[in-house]
Amino acid sequence: MLDVASFDPVAIRIFGNLFASIAEEMGVTLGRTAYSANIKERRDYSCAIFDKDLRLVAEGSHIPVHLGAMPLSLSESAKRIDFNPGDTVIVNDPFAGGTHLPDITLTSPIFLDEALIGFAVSRAHHADVGSHFPGSMGLGHTIHEEGVCISPSKLVAGSRIDERLLESFLQQVRNPKERLGDLKAQLAANEIGKSRFIDLVTKYGLDDIGKQIDNTIAYTRICTEILLQSMPSGTYSFIDYLDDDGFSDKPLKIEVAIKISGNRARIDFSGTDAQVESCVNAPLAVTHSAVYYVFRCLLPSTVLVNHGTFYPLTIKAPEGSLVNAAYPAGVAAGNVETSQRIVDVLLGALAQALPDRIPAASQGTMNNLSFGFKYPGGGEHTYYETIGGGMGAYPGKDGLSGVHTHMTNTLNTPIEALELAFPVRVRECSLRHGSGGNGKFSGGDGITRSIEFLEDSMVSILSDRRRTRPYGLNKGEPGASGRNILTCGDEEIELPGKTSFNVKAGDIVTIETPGGGGCGG
Amino acid sequence: MVEISIVIGIDVGGTFTDFVLWQDGGHIIHKVLSTHPQPEIGVVNGLKELGLLPDETDFGIGPSKTQSADIIHGSTIATNALLERKGAKVALVTTRGFTDLIDIGRQNRPGLYSFWADMPAPLVDRDYRFGVDERIGSCGEVIRPVDVSGLSSLMRALSDKGINAVAVCFLFSFLNPEHEQVVENYLVDNGFFVSASYKILPEYREYERLSTTVVNAFVTPLVASYLAKLTSGMGEGLARNLRIMQSNGGLVSAMSAARQAVQTVLSGPAGGAVATQQLGKNTGIERLISFDMGGTSTDVSLVDGDIQFTTEFSIYGSPIKVPVIDIHTIGAGGGSIAWIDAGGALQVGPESAGSDPGPACYGRGEKPTITDANLVLGRLHPKHFLGGRQELDLEHAKRVLSRMADECGLDLLATADGVIRIAISNMEKAIRKISVERGYDPRDFTLIAFGGAGPMHACELAEAALIPRVLIPKIPGVFSAYGMTVSDVAKDYSKSVLIRQTDFTTETLENTFTPLLDAARADLTAEGFNEESMRLEKALDVRYIGQSFELTIPIAGFADDYPGAFHKMHSERYGHASPDEEIEVVGVRVRAIGLRDKPEVAMVEQAKEPVVVDLKSCTFFDGWYDAACYHRENLLAGHTLTGPALIFQLDTTTVIPPGWLAEVDRYGNLILQKENG
Repeated sequence: MLDVASFDPVAIRIFGNLFASIAEEMGVTLGRTAYSANIKERRDYSCAIFDKDLRLVAEGSHIPVHLGAMPLSLSESAKRIDFNPGDTVIVNDPFAGGTHLPDITLTSPIFLDEALIGFAVSRAHHADVGSHFPGSMGLGHTIHEEGVCISPSKLVAGSRIDERLLESFLQQVRNPKERLGDLKAQLAANEIGKSRFIDLVTKYGLDDIGKQIDNTIAYTRICTEILLQSMPSGTYSFIDYLDDDGFSDKPLKIEVAIKISGNRARIDFSGTDAQVESCVNAPLAVTHSAVYYVFRCLLPSTVLVNHGTFYPLTIKAPEGSLVNAAYPAGVAAGNVETSQRIVDVLLGALAQALPDRIPAASQGTMNNLSFGFKYPGGGEHTYYETIGGGMGAYPGKDGLSGVHTHMTNTLNTPIEALELAFPVRVRECSLRHGSGGNGKFSGGDGITRSIEFLEDSMVSILSDRRRTRPYGLNKGEPGASGRNILTCGDEEIELPGKTSFNVKAGDIVTIETPGGGGCGG
Repeated sequence: MVEISIVIGIDVGGTFTDFVLWQDGGHIIHKVLSTHPQPEIGVVNGLKELGLLPDETDFGIGPSKTQSADIIHGSTIATNALLERKGAKVALVTTRGFTDLIDIGRQNRPGLYSFWADMPAPLVDRDYRFGVDERIGSCGEVIRPVDVSGLSSLMRALSDKGINAVAVCFLFSFLNPEHEQVVENYLVDNGFFVSASYKILPEYREYERLSTTVVNAFVTPLVASYLAKLTSGMGEGLARNLRIMQSNGGLVSAMSAARQAVQTVLSGPAGGAVATQQLGKNTGIERLISFDMGGTSTDVSLVDGDIQFTTEFSIYGSPIKVPVIDIHTIGAGGGSIAWIDAGGALQVGPESAGSDPGPACYGRGEKPTITDANLVLGRLHPKHFLGGRQELDLEHAKRVLSRMADECGLDLLATADGVIRIAISNMEKAIRKISVERGYDPRDFTLIAFGGAGPMHACELAEAALIPRVLIPKIPGVFSAYGMTVSDVAKDYSKSVLIRQTDFTTETLENTFTPLLDAARADLTAEGFNEESMRLEKALDVRYIGQSFELTIPIAGFADDYPGAFHKMHSERYGHASPDEEIEVVGVRVRAIGLRDKPEVAMVEQAKEPVVVDLKSCTFFDGWYDAACYHRENLLAGHTLTGPALIFQLDTTTVIPPGWLAEVDRYGNLILQKENG
C-alpha cells in the first residue's frame, strides 16, 4: 500500500493553487502584452515554473503539445549554459528541447541572494521564423528549409539584451517588429514569474517552499502511481500509420509497446519507422508531450500538473526515428500531425488495459491550411488556420463533432473576419454528417470548409488521415478519411494530403476533415 | 401626475426572494421563500406581506391612492431557461451552407485534458435549422439575392413543426440587413416571434452574433409570459412602473424586456455590482472587489469607480456578446462539500449539498461542508443561524467531519480549519482572476462582502489576497435587491463598421452614430425620460490594421482625438503602442442612460456602548478564543469592535478574527482592518 499519511493533506491544494497562480499570471501577462494574433487570440503559448533541481512545479498550459516539451527545453539549456542572475536563455532548436522552430522558449533563472532557487519559463508559437514558406509551416525536406534555428543561448545576460543575437534573428524573419514585440511579452511574463516566486519564498521561507514543492510533487507522483497500479500489468502494443511523407506514397509506421508493471510504465516506441526527408518527423519533446498528455487525461482533474507525473513513466524512443528525430530532420509537421498519431497509438495500446476509459481515435490531424497573396505594392499577406474534426467516441459518450482534438485546441477564424481581411469567400462551413464512425457510441463528425479564391494565390495543405481512417474501438466503426478537393470550373481534382499548389481566381478549395472512430458494436 | 414615493427592489434567488423597500427616507427588508418553477407567486406573496397588495399581513405601509410604486425586479427566468434547456421551441434561419455553425462554434473543445465532454444540448434542434439561398459580401454588396420564392414553404415547415420563435442570422447582415429584413417581415406578418441578428447584435463575427440571436429567441417568449403573469398578479397599479434588471447593470421597462430578454441572463448578480458601486460612492471608497458568497457559489467582480464589463460572456455553452458585467463565478458556497481525493489531498467543492440534504448540521446530510466546518470551529452560533430560524446540529456536524478527519489522519479541528483554508485559497484564486490578471493590484482595493456566507470569510480572504480593508454593508443579505433600487435605466447599442484612419472624417463618424443616437433617444423617451435626464455615452472600437482584437475608446465629441486616446490606452493595457501605425475603427457603441432619482441611505445613530450579547468560544488558526458576540441591529455609528468577535444578523454572521478591528461608519456599514495594519 502507498503511504499517504506522510504529507499534509490540506497544504497540497493551497500550495498547488499558489504555484499554479504564478504560471497562470505569467500566461495572462504574455497574452496581454503580445503583438501577434497567434499568441493574443489563438493563445498558442504556455508558461511554467521549475525549481532549482529542474523539476516542473506548475504549468499554465493552453496547448497540450507544450506540456512535456518545457522540461526538456530547460534540461537541454541547463546542460549547456552557466546561469547567472539576470540571464534569459532562448532556444527553439528541436534537437535541444524544442518542438518545431516557430515555438520559441525563453528560460529565466530565479536567484535570491545570489542563490539559484528556480526557473521561469515561457514558450510561444511565433507566426514566422524565416524559411521560404510563409508562416514557416511548409512541406520541406530538412530543418534548413524551416527557418532560423537557435540553440540555447543567452538572449539576456546579466539583465543586458544581446543586441547582436537579437538583430541577427530579427533580420531573418518576415515581421521583425511583431517578433520583437512577442519576445518582449515573453520576457515580461518571465519577469512576473520570477518576482511572484520570490514573493512566495520571502513570505514562507525557502525551506518551507522547498518542502511544499516536494509535497505537491510527491502527491502527483502518488496519484500517477495509483493510476498505473489500477491498470492490469502486462505489455500492450499498437501500430498505426501516417499516410505518407508528402513526397512518396509510402505509409509511415508508428509503433508503441506500453509495459505496465505495478506502479510503473515503460513506453517503448521501438519498431517505429526511421525519420524521413520531409517535415513530418517529431523531435523527442513532441513525443514526451504526447505521452504526458495521454496520462494526464487519465488522472482526476484535481491532480496538480508537475514533475510528479513524469517519474513513474519511462519513455524509450529510438534515435533517428519518426518519434525522436535527429538533425537535420524537418520537423514543422511533427508537432501538428505526427503528434496526433503518437497519441493514437498510445490510446490504441492503453485501450487494451483500460477498455472503459479510452476513446476511439479522433480525427488525428490538424488540417493545416495556409495561403498568401501578394500586395500590389510588394510584400505578402499570409493566412494560416487549422481545422477541427471528429472526436473519437468514448465508452458511454458520443464523440464531439467539429472540434480540435488531443494536442491542440486553437480557435478558428470567424468567416466574416476572414473575408474582411483576404480576397476569399467561404462557400460552406458545415459538419460532414455521417463521417463519424458508427457504434454503440458514434464518433464525432468532421467539418467541410470550402473556400473560393477571388484572386490568384499559393496554397499549402499539411494534413493526414486522407488514406487511413481513425480507428474504432470494441467493434465500433472507423471514422471517415478526410479529403482535399480543388474545384476549377466544372473540374474536381482530388488533392494529396500534403501539398503546395497555385490557384486562380474562381477556384475553390474544399477541405473535408476526418470523423472520429465509433465505440462499441 | 402621480408622485413616486415608494421604491422596491425584488431579487429572486434560489432559496429566498429578497425585497428592499424604500419609503420616506427609510428602508424595510423582507424575505419570502422562492416558489420555483413559478417565481411570480413568491413575488406576489412578498408584496402582499409588505402590504402593497390587499390581503395577508398588512404592515401598514402600503401606498396611498395618490402614490405609485417604482418596482425593480431581478429575474432568473432567462438563466434557468438556459440551464434547464426549457425555453421556446426555436428555429434557426441562416445562410445555406452554414446551418451547423451553431454546433461548430469556434471549434474548441471545453476540456483540454479530457477524453470526453458533455455538451449542453444545442438550443436549436437539427431538424429546425433552415438554410436560405442568399449571400451578402464583405462590402455589404448583394452577391446572391434572397430566394423569396422559398419563404412560403419555409413558413409551412415552421408551422408544421410547431415552432414558436425564429432566430434569423445571415452572413454580413451587420453591413447590410436587407435579406434578414425580408425574412423577418415575412415571418412576423405570419405571426411568428422573430429575433433577427441585425437588431440584436449588428456586429461582425458570425458565430457570436448567431448565438446571441438564438439565445434571445430561446428565452424571450418565456420571459414575456412570466412578466405577463407577474403583472397580472401585481395588478395594474404596481405593474405600471415595473422595470427589469439587465446583465449590463441597467434597468429596462418590463415591456422592453419582454421583447429582448437576452439582456436579462445575469439579472441577479448585476444587482450586487451596482450596489457595490453605489456603496462606493456613498462611503468614498470607490475601488472595490465584491465578494458574494451564497449557499452553492461565489461571485466576484471588480468596481474601479466604474463597473467593469465584458463582451466575452458565455452561459452553458452559448456565447452572449452583448455587454455584461464582468463577474467571475466559482463553485464555493456554504454548502460546498469537502472530500478527500484519490491521492489523499483534501478538496472543497465544486459539488454542493444544496438545500436538500443541505450541510450536515441541518440534520440530514452525511457529507461535511464549509458551513459544518464553520460551526465546529465555533464561528457560527447554533441558535443564531438565519436569524434563529434554522437550529444547527453541532454534534452531527462533528460526527460527519470526524469521519473525514480520520480518513486524512488529522484531528477534528485541524480538518475543519483545513476545509476553510482550502475554500479561502480557491476564492483567492477567483479574486486574482478579476484583479491581478486584469492588471489591477488588490492592495489598492477594499473587499466588500455580502451574500449569506460572504461576511463570514471576508477577513481571512482579504488577508490571503493581500486586500488591506474589508467593508460589510449594513444589509449584506439583500444587497443585490438594494442594488436594483439604485440602478439607472441603461440600454446598449452597437454596430460594426470598417473605417480606416485615412478615410476618416468627423462627418463619417457623425453619420455612423446618428441612427444609434436616434434609436437611443427614442427608446429613453418611451421609458419616460426627457432630455435632461438622459445621458448618451459614445465609444469607438479601434484596432491597428491587421490586428484582430480591438479596444473600446470612449469619446465625448466627434472631433475628439480618438487615435491619441487609442495609443494611450493600448500602452496602458498592453505595455506598448505604435503611434506610427495606421489604425481603423471597427465598431461604434452608444450606451443610453436614463437617470433615476435614487433613494438616499439614512445615517445611523451615533454610538454609546455596544451591547455584548454573549461570549462564545471560537477557534482560529492559532487556537481557541472567547469571541464577543453582537447583534448587528444594535451597532451604531462610531462603534469599534475588536476581534475575535461574531456579529449576528438576520441572514448572515460576520466573523472578525483576532487581530482585526471593525468600525461602524455613519451609514451602519462595518469597515474592518488589521490592527497595526
